Amino acid sequence: MLTSIKTNSLTNEGQKLGMMYIRVAIVLFGAQLLMGLIAAIQFIVPGFLFEIFDFSVARMVHINALVVWMLYAMIGSVYLMLTDETEHNVVAIGLGKLAFWVLTAAVTVVVLVYIFIQVGAGSESTIWFINEGREYLEAPRWADIGIVVVVLIFYWNVFATYMKGKKTGIMTVMVANLMALAGLYLAGMFFTDNISIDQYWWWWVIHLWVEATWEVFVGTLAAYALVKIIDAKREIVEMWLWIEVLMLFGSGILGLGHHYFWIGTPEYWWEIGALFSSLEPVPLVAMFVHVLYDWGKEQGANGTKPAIKNGPAMAWLVTNAFGNFLGAGIWGFFHTLPQVNIYTHGSQFTAAHGHLAFFGAYATILIGMMYYGIQRAYGVERMRATFKSKMAIFLITFGVLGMTVALTIAGYEQVLVERAELGANWNAFFTAQDLPWYIQAQIWRTIMGVVTFIGFIYLVWDLITIGKEAKEAQV
Amino acid sequence: MIDQFTDVVPSFFGMLNQGPLTLTIFLHTVIILPMFWIYKQEKAKLQDK
Amino acid sequence: MANENVSVWTSIPFWRRSAAWVTGFASILLIWLTFDTLGQISMGTDSDLKNGVTKRVPAPTVINYHIDYKMSQKRGHEVPVIGKKEPFFGKEWSPKEARELLHLGKLTSQAKNCMNCHTLLGNGAYYAPDLTKAWLDPAWQKGGAMQGFTGKNTTEEAMAEFLQHPSKYATHARMMPNLGITAKEAKGLVAFLKHMSSIDTNGFPRNFSKTVDQFKAGGTNAH
Repeated sequence: MLTSIKTNSLTNEGQKLGMMYIRVAIVLFGAQLLMGLIAAIQFIVPGFLFEIFDFSVARMVHINALVVWMLYAMIGSVYLMLTDETEHNVVAIGLGKLAFWVLTAAVTVVVLVYIFIQVGAGSESTIWFINEGREYLEAPRWADIGIVVVVLIFYWNVFATYMKGKKTGIMTVMVANLMALAGLYLAGMFFTDNISIDQYWWWWVIHLWVEATWEVFVGTLAAYALVKIIDAKREIVEMWLWIEVLMLFGSGILGLGHHYFWIGTPEYWWEIGALFSSLEPVPLVAMFVHVLYDWGKEQGANGTKPAIKNGPAMAWLVTNAFGNFLGAGIWGFFHTLPQVNIYTHGSQFTAAHGHLAFFGAYATILIGMMYYGIQRAYGVERMRATFKSKMAIFLITFGVLGMTVALTIAGYEQVLVERAELGANWNAFFTAQDLPWYIQAQIWRTIMGVVTFIGFIYLVWDLITIGKEAKEAQV
Repeated sequence: MIDQFTDVVPSFFGMLNQGPLTLTIFLHTVIILPMFWIYKQEKAKLQDK
Repeated sequence: MANENVSVWTSIPFWRRSAAWVTGFASILLIWLTFDTLGQISMGTDSDLKNGVTKRVPAPTVINYHIDYKMSQKRGHEVPVIGKKEPFFGKEWSPKEARELLHLGKLTSQAKNCMNCHTLLGNGAYYAPDLTKAWLDPAWQKGGAMQGFTGKNTTEEAMAEFLQHPSKYATHARMMPNLGITAKEAKGLVAFLKHMSSIDTNGFPRNFSKTVDQFKAGGTNAH
């Protein structure tokens, strides 16, 4: 299946390597959705796979596959744009390919251990070889070190190519941001008995990834994609990119404070977290306006005939602009103030926000980049959306929105009954989980999960066939 | 007007945290103020051209 | 040629410099704040406990003390209250023993992947109850449903028994699976939970186990 996506028209080795990453990303995306379905079913049928493949395992693979497919698609996207932007070939392509195979082998081993060994004894060796048991950063320590080495190779390729080639504004942001993104991973690589300090650094990785460096990454990708897909003028795009960097980092870095309300950290984080993180939606509005403005006004600004060169990629880019604002911005703001968060912290609200934010901010644009990669791989001048592309984007978006709304309702039930009314203990938790409206919401979440999965099948089918069909139609 | 310090341990940031939003407004201000200076400099540069 | 109508707002250098300034300065502030916070959340010492010095994260020997969670008028929310000494698994733990036990418990909590069903300090998954103040849950106290269910006489023994045979003491269709937790690891986990309940979480979870009347009176159901 993976090799059905050909790269015959690519002469650039860096872009071929980019497509290798993207193929694996598609597979891991599928794994993520399957695990999510298992976990969703376990909410409504608790006996499902009990003591065989428990919720903790399904959920761990669900969120790890999510992070890893996104990192794969991100690395793939960077390799796709690297030579375009720098006008220089990737400096160490052989090493880059080796790193790809090492990483893929490591990811496979880690996932197999998660699935078949699951948990270990309470000892250091479990942390080193089975799993680290810290949400999102479960990868055992040996894999952490492997990831660091592989990322260093990747970063060297990007950095050295950039230094030797042309230094565009887009690439400058990319190189600087990637360094922060890679470096932050180190903050999650140690063990401490003090859970407050543990979670303090844990958030450095999680928050400064998804609410700062990943967002800047998305802004950079969107800038590149707008130049490539609708021929937007580079000066306009780069000006917006710097504004986005300013606002994303300005709000996002200290917005980290909204994770430090209740983990043992001082009270002053209430204020810092509240106001800085409240401003986090602002750049997302800016990105939304920027993409739509360029779509309407900047098409063909480079002197070419106005045209969308890649229909599906552009559709996903616009979905990104909207989804990022809605999922990360609105749903994040819902519960970012401490006055609200003291009740909503660690409830289905968080799950609702997580689903729409990861999808809206990241999945969308990375799927767009997959379509863009395929267009390049097949050497298609202009790629139009097929019926399958439309089904994919509609079903996936509708499915994720549906899950989000369902989880938000479940969150309301949980917050009001478990937290406000009954005081958040064991009994309060289960009382809320047994509420008919809560259960109903979980059922809808599962149904919408299935809708998303059907959309994913359309997506894969489309990704495999669209390039070939467009190429044949062109000839 | 000035609230009594309530947190467990007094600290510099704790001291600035004196009631509604004092700390965060202070931090926002020190971040944004230098941008006026950057603005003026850039304007001068553009006008010189 | 002087041009009066220049717009700095559309100038790339202006935004680039501003972005660099804001990013750099926010990062410096964050690093400064991190030093300040880490100082405040590093674990206290055994003598802090003996002398009644309040720490956000007390020493591991806090397991030798009674812990409660009470409304503080000064703070405006509930705070952990460390009380008199009480035996933990029938004895008083020396600083070294307590540290080793907490170490085992924290390791086990990661090795058994607790966080992918439960939340700890509110972070994790939402399939099972939050464990932040689990030690104080009335269900585990004398006369509480879980302590009675396990047939044990103390909170720590009841919790340890449950952790070793979770599906045997299931209260709901959604059960905790058997994770192969040994008796020793269970002790460690209970120490970890007791220690976590002593962390000052700025009042999270609010309203823990209270009724409205008790809340108004400033009391809790936690023991």
